[in-house]
Amino acid sequence: MIKLQDVCKSYFLGDTEVKAVCDINLEIKDKEFIGILGSSGSGKSTLMYLIGLLEHPTAGKIFLEGKDVSKLSDDTLSKIRNKTVGFVFQSFNLINKYTVLENVLLPTKYAKGILDFDAIKRAEELLKKFGIWDRRDFFPNKISGGQQQRVAIARALMMKPKIIMADEPTGNLDSKTGDEILDIMESLNKDFGVTVILVTHEKDVANRTKRKIYIKDGQMVGKYL
Amino acid sequence: MKIQNGYLDLIKAAISDFKRSKIRTFLTSLGIMIGVLSVVLLIALGIGLKNYLQRQFESLGANLIIIFPGNISSSEEGGGLGNFGAGFAGGANFDEKDYISLSRINEADYVVPLFMKSSVIESDGERKLGYLMGSSEDSFKILNLEILEGNFFTKGDVSSRAKKAVIGESLADNLYDAPQDAVGKTVRVSDQRFKVIGVYKKKGDREQDNAAVVPYRTTFGTLNPDETFFTIYLGTTDKDKVEEVKKKAEEVLLKRYDKDDFTVTEQSELLSTINQIFNIVNGVLVAIGSISLLVGGIGIMNIMYATVTERTKEVGIRRAVGATERDILNQFLAESILLSLFGGLLGLVLAFLIVLGIRAFFPASINLFSVVITLVISSGIGIFFGVFPARRAAKLPPIEAIRYE
Repeated sequence: MIKLQDVCKSYFLGDTEVKAVCDINLEIKDKEFIGILGSSGSGKSTLMYLIGLLEHPTAGKIFLEGKDVSKLSDDTLSKIRNKTVGFVFQSFNLINKYTVLENVLLPTKYAKGILDFDAIKRAEELLKKFGIWDRRDFFPNKISGGQQQRVAIARALMMKPKIIMADEPTGNLDSKTGDEILDIMESLNKDFGVTVILVTHEKDVANRTKRKIYIKDGQMVGKYL
Repeated sequence: MKIQNGYLDLIKAAISDFKRSKIRTFLTSLGIMIGVLSVVLLIALGIGLKNYLQRQFESLGANLIIIFPGNISSSEEGGGLGNFGAGFAGGANFDEKDYISLSRINEADYVVPLFMKSSVIESDGERKLGYLMGSSEDSFKILNLEILEGNFFTKGDVSSRAKKAVIGESLADNLYDAPQDAVGKTVRVSDQRFKVIGVYKKKGDREQDNAAVVPYRTTFGTLNPDETFFTIYLGTTDKDKVEEVKKKAEEVLLKRYDKDDFTVTEQSELLSTINQIFNIVNGVLVAIGSISLLVGGIGIMNIMYATVTERTKEVGIRRAVGATERDILNQFLAESILLSLFGGLLGLVLAFLIVLGIRAFFPASINLFSVVITLVISSGIGIFFGVFPARRAAKLPPIEAIRYE
């Protein structure tokens, strides 16, 4: 489903080129539950954003369902992100001035064209599923971290994406709540057939996934050191 | 079901953002409001001034040729404003001799000399500021005056220097309980007493409505010691004769005066000269007013830059869920346009109220043009000053934006 071929991403800090990730060759199959494991600054988040089409690679190619997406325009990439990818972040990244429901509906605002489902109904379904429907009119800063992360997951699922990318989704949560979130991730993969890519620096978290990739200094390594 | 990032959505989102920061929204719009207010008011006052002058001239009849001292614009020089500085001041002092010579022009149906000065007019113990006009019996015809009560004076009254006056309705109303009461009363101007023999209907010309018209020969002496006229009007009933009368009048006057000492002009010509002057004055005033619009625009730009920085993370989030660069651009652009439109509308409403207030004294008016131009200019400012911050927001790299704290 997703294939990375010799992918590199480098930044310039002044005149110095910093390679965030390099020589990544990776294939992620449909409905996989995969963990990207690496320490802080290893480039694992950059890798996730590359896979999630939020970043262009500076070298190499990214294929999504066989199609090279590494050179597509912003418009097309945004459209693919909107339809195919859902992001879940460590710091939840909800828009605080919007209510829970408005946050969940946000991706539908950028769906160019007609939705094949009723947005409000779907949001209701998702919020009920995660037990936060009664919080729909609350603003994010008025609910707990675990609830915020559920809202973020509901938002990520809103457009029925094929892929969910979670960047340290449990990083800001206590272990119990973190476990609940990981349960949700697992169930998304198992029960709903969504490809889940989980980025983490915690071995325990990564152990919940079915396959692990280790990143060190921007490169895939055989083993997590 | 269709949920679109359409214009309505953009407007709704922008308005809900404004509601969250009412004071900032108001203060930012204030700049544009003041700019629009000053521009619209200046245009309104300009129109008012023009209306006022136009009304003054329209109260004179058509096919009117006006002769006055000085050279305001000579058609030989292209009707320009070149010698305007010399206009009104200086030049010839027309006297009865000129009036009589001009009266010999056959094509002119009326020749009316006019002496005018502002004076205190007294009667029955009331003292009112008005105007004394010394003229001939034809002045009533040439000024299109209609009698309300009594009669106008006659040619005989002029030659016999009769102490008779015909007064305007407004003046009569000011001096007496009812304007009609004036007839038969005596009014005093300086040391002269005049018997009021008629009252003419008001026409909306402040000077004319507050004047006492007396036979010009009667003013000779203490009221008009130089025995001169400020203006001489020539009227013709036939429009085709206007040019000829003008030419003959010039010939007559050239016998006594230099070309630059007097101006023979038509009402329409004079009006267009005055319009020309006012268009320039108005243009300059509006340009000055526009500076405040510019300042308002810079205020919007400033606040939009601050907003973009403040909402960097939000931009990142939106980008992550599928917003294109264009979506982000439109979002911020919509806000700046609405901000300045809001300011523009506020300014327009305020200008409208002020104009309503001063209309009692001055015929200022807001025309459709100012409304349209205001809306166009405010949205233009919104676009122009909003596009740079909006572009910055759109071009934010999503990853950096999303990590921004």
